[in-house]
Amino acid sequence: MNVNEAINRLKEIQSTTNACVTIIEHDVKTHEGVLSDVPIALKDNVITKGILTTGGSKLLSNYIPPYNATIVDKIKQAGGIIVAKTTLDELGMGGTGTASFNGPVKNPFDLTRQAGGSSSGSAVVVAAKAVDIAIGSDTGDSVRKPASYVGVVGTKPTYGRISRYGIIPYASSLDHVGYFTSDVRLAALMCDVLSGQDKMDHTSLPYPSTTLAPQLHDDVKGKVYGIFKEVLEAIDHPQTLKNFDAVCKALESKGAIIKTISMNETILRTCLPTYYIIANCEATANHSNLTGVNFGLTQEGEDVETIMTNTRTHGFGPLIRKRFVIGSYGLKDENQDKLFRKAQKVRRVIVNEFNRMLSECDGLIAPATTSTAPLLEGANMNVLSNAHLIAENYMVLANFSGAPSITVPIMPVDGLPHGINLTCKIEDEATMFQLALAIETCVKEGL
Amino acid sequence: MNKDIILSLAEELNFTLSEGEVENIVNEFHSLQDLLSLLETIDTEGVSEMVYPFESPLLTLRDDEVTHELSQSQALSNAHKVKEGYVSVPKVVK
Repeated sequence: MNVNEAINRLKEIQSTTNACVTIIEHDVKTHEGVLSDVPIALKDNVITKGILTTGGSKLLSNYIPPYNATIVDKIKQAGGIIVAKTTLDELGMGGTGTASFNGPVKNPFDLTRQAGGSSSGSAVVVAAKAVDIAIGSDTGDSVRKPASYVGVVGTKPTYGRISRYGIIPYASSLDHVGYFTSDVRLAALMCDVLSGQDKMDHTSLPYPSTTLAPQLHDDVKGKVYGIFKEVLEAIDHPQTLKNFDAVCKALESKGAIIKTISMNETILRTCLPTYYIIANCEATANHSNLTGVNFGLTQEGEDVETIMTNTRTHGFGPLIRKRFVIGSYGLKDENQDKLFRKAQKVRRVIVNEFNRMLSECDGLIAPATTSTAPLLEGANMNVLSNAHLIAENYMVLANFSGAPSITVPIMPVDGLPHGINLTCKIEDEATMFQLALAIETCVKEGL
Repeated sequence: MNKDIILSLAEELNFTLSEGEVENIVNEFHSLQDLLSLLETIDTEGVSEMVYPFESPLLTLRDDEVTHELSQSQALSNAHKVKEGYVSVPKVVK
């Protein structure tokens, strides 16, 4: 896929999928490198110098940044060409792809369905074969769930592996840069390109860039894949379970060891409320700078206070306003111990239990979602069921713990894309890509 | 959570909510309570807050050197109103 072909394809799919906020026809190669002339899309919460960056919010719908995110410079230094800024749920908050200021993103395999979120557009442009690489961000599962819904590889390396400088934040203790690729080898290469300590981001890991792609292989003889028992038990879709079982058997035939691993169910059921409180509280604080005074779609007012109120009322969608109210409620003095601090303590209990599971295997696997992409109007699930609390939301464990995690597409369910999620120990992306490549190989070989 | 609390929070957050939005948040908060009550099922006595994914020497001190700066024109390029090199807003003191 060259740049012109990518741009033509992006234009072709825009009217049906709404995957892009901006298609960029004028970017030029500045360096030679491993990505020379490779067209790449960026989620529109990645700051790009001189190019509209909206964060999916009306409030930022006129924002032209004066600087680049670190990862943009890294992509350019590797020879990549930026061809699009993609649609996302406003400020990365949402899991459906239906909450952007520019309208919903539709799944290219069935336009009545979601592509998942919040990195919806980036997932779609890879799935629709417009580009082989698209950057996203992942705070709860915002790369890995859409990847399953559209049948592409979705990667979230270890927390801090990739600089977040110049990424519009959602919840800082959970936010990761992630990305979509057409296969696992490319995912390993992108980790090499994007990783490395960044002085502009004090949360970046103190290591140089990884060099994983050159030595990547899919020999998994003796490697232990842990099957996430409670996730499997919470899924009742026969095809999902049958496909997963077929992959496990294929891995076994390659010499891998398949071992069922269990997590305390009571603890596991607290993942979603813990996430909900921490994420909304952190987001409320993070976005207090969106006032319309220094930048943004400013609304007039007789004084500064009124300018800010008018700008934020006009600029934020109802979902964001609701989340900020809940986040602010959790941060009130009288609620902090009961909600925010309690959630932070529960997070530690969850992470201790999850790390114990990871210590018993080389990588933990489960179906990424119970089934295929929900319809655009949403899924109708009992919010207190294990299907919802566990099987649909367990991938947030990798955000709580910072562990590297990847979704790999396997066989379709009901004729639509579906994937397996794999999570490994902190900083062990090498094993993650090795185990993921073996899954991909099994599927490509027809199991 | 009731309407008055929601309106007060919205005011602190510098935005307004329509009556429908307030109603929606009140209703949603009732079902949210069931979800949040799950936090109480975990004994966190003696557990400290986790504010970061893992313990790591990430927050290192650095020399106070300028490594990155924006020019005045860049810094003002997205401001709604600019006057004599500053962001211009209505008078605060009248």
